[in-house]
Amino acid sequence: MALLELDGVTRRYGALVALDQVAMRVEDGEVRAVIGPNGAGKTTLFNVITGTVKPSAGAIRFAGHAIGGLPSHEVCRLGISRTFQITSLFPEMSARDNARLSAQARHGRRWQPFGGAKVFAESEALADAALQQLGLGAIADQPAGLLSHGDQRLLEVAMAMAQQPRVLLLDEPTQGLSVEETAQAVETLARFLHASKMTVLLVEHDMEVVFRLAQRITVLHRGAVIADGTPDEVKADARVQDAYLGGLE
Amino acid sequence: MSRSTRVKTTTGMAALVVALVVLVLAPLGLPPFAMTLLTEAVILGLFAMSLDLMFGYTRLVSFGHAAAYGLGAYACGWMLLNTGMPLLFAVFAAALLTGAVGIGVGWMCTLATGVSFSMLTLAFAQLLYAISFKWTSVTGGSDGLAGIPRTVGPFGFAALSSKAGFYYLALACLVGGFLVCRALVRSPFGAVLRGIRENEAKTTALGYNTRLYKIAVVAIAYGLGGLAGALYAPFAGFANTELLFWLLSGQVLIMVIVGGAGTLIGPVLGAAFFMLMEHQLSAWTEAWALYFGLIFIAFVLFAPQGIWGLATGLAGGRLRSAEQRH
Repeated sequence: MALLELDGVTRRYGALVALDQVAMRVEDGEVRAVIGPNGAGKTTLFNVITGTVKPSAGAIRFAGHAIGGLPSHEVCRLGISRTFQITSLFPEMSARDNARLSAQARHGRRWQPFGGAKVFAESEALADAALQQLGLGAIADQPAGLLSHGDQRLLEVAMAMAQQPRVLLLDEPTQGLSVEETAQAVETLARFLHASKMTVLLVEHDMEVVFRLAQRITVLHRGAVIADGTPDEVKADARVQDAYLGGLE
Repeated sequence: MSRSTRVKTTTGMAALVVALVVLVLAPLGLPPFAMTLLTEAVILGLFAMSLDLMFGYTRLVSFGHAAAYGLGAYACGWMLLNTGMPLLFAVFAAALLTGAVGIGVGWMCTLATGVSFSMLTLAFAQLLYAISFKWTSVTGGSDGLAGIPRTVGPFGFAALSSKAGFYYLALACLVGGFLVCRALVRSPFGAVLRGIRENEAKTTALGYNTRLYKIAVVAIAYGLGGLAGALYAPFAGFANTELLFWLLSGQVLIMVIVGGAGTLIGPVLGAAFFMLMEHQLSAWTEAWALYFGLIFIAFVLFAPQGIWGLATGLAGGRLRSAEQRH
């Protein structure tokens, strides 16, 4: 059984159909990219899966749970962590404290109103491990707001990883980075994905990044899935070339 | 922890202990009039500290924190006047009641965020203000509750009803409140509050139910603010509608900002500073609020970290230069 399964997922905003009967299966350990032209519904898809937005129709199953329409903190606690297209951090906290607060969200005593050395120690160990995985160990003590843009993007991934998720949703992890920063970040991500065997759903604009990281690709166009397959299959698909790749020329 | 932060923490702790010793010894040397002012400053300090949990640590801007103070004062005053309950029990019962009301206020106000949140806190305080005028049989209407006694009760707390005794009661509440607040902001719960302050959307995305955390912090802030109000009623001997008025909500916000938001100690100093200024300036001019307004503007523009920020910044700077010399 697939780890994450979408069936007939639809989201309407008035007359606009942002997601149209989306069906999709993501297997355990797979790195899946979701691509499509602007306004294809990629971010809406993430929002629906993570509970930020409720689906108008359809079912979403994750590891045996029906998660369609659950509030985002419950979805997160079941093991789906995400990053955002626009960098979203705690700028005045150190990188380590950012990741620690993220890890603490999964701790049974995250409400404890006193002491909490044990909670902090366990969360901090997860935070440090995640920072190491993404090559951020050396800058753990710096305030997140002062990091380079590339490191900030990676810190977001580390924060998601500190929660030990079963699925990681990455929304344009190289958004806003220069060509050079992108190349560095992609290499770090590729190494990390290879080492961690993480199940990943990736939204990305940059085709080079997609082909470097993803094993399978789902193509969205006007809210509907028009293709699904390996990178080579997708590249060869006439409808995809028409709707997306063709549009680049 | 680096050496300089450890040195700074120990100096900070030493300064606090010295301040506490001075406060404990104060009744021995001060004339009665000064004791009255000091007791009021301690009570207002507790009130300002309670708002700091919301404003300084969670960035929940309340324009209606007088609701907690007034509610605590009226509840405590009513119990002392009508039930014969001893002072200590009435004070803590009123604080608990205010905290319980705070759960409802928090639930209602956190339906909104940002400015709308602030407006809802104001609306609730104004609602209580209106009730205090109209519900004459309980609140005494525009006269308020007068002649509130410091009932001694059967448990030998007679010492608390004297001038110095009552001061020690208020001081114990301030110190206890400080220890509770400090434990709170350093705990896992407090870490989430800081997350909400810096980036609430992200905190939610990480899997925290931020609304419940906000309701909890409003309830705790109300409980402590209610404790301060509950001390005020038997201290002054009366409770009137002014304790629920928006002017007080604004003043306590100013105390927090001038003292240094997000520091717990700062707002206590801010409250003392406010009282001192009110006292000194009003002896000199009727328009004292105008001059205090100028001082407030100066703080916002030139020392946004407040009195406590200035003090610790100076101490830290001395330490740094001392370290450089060695």
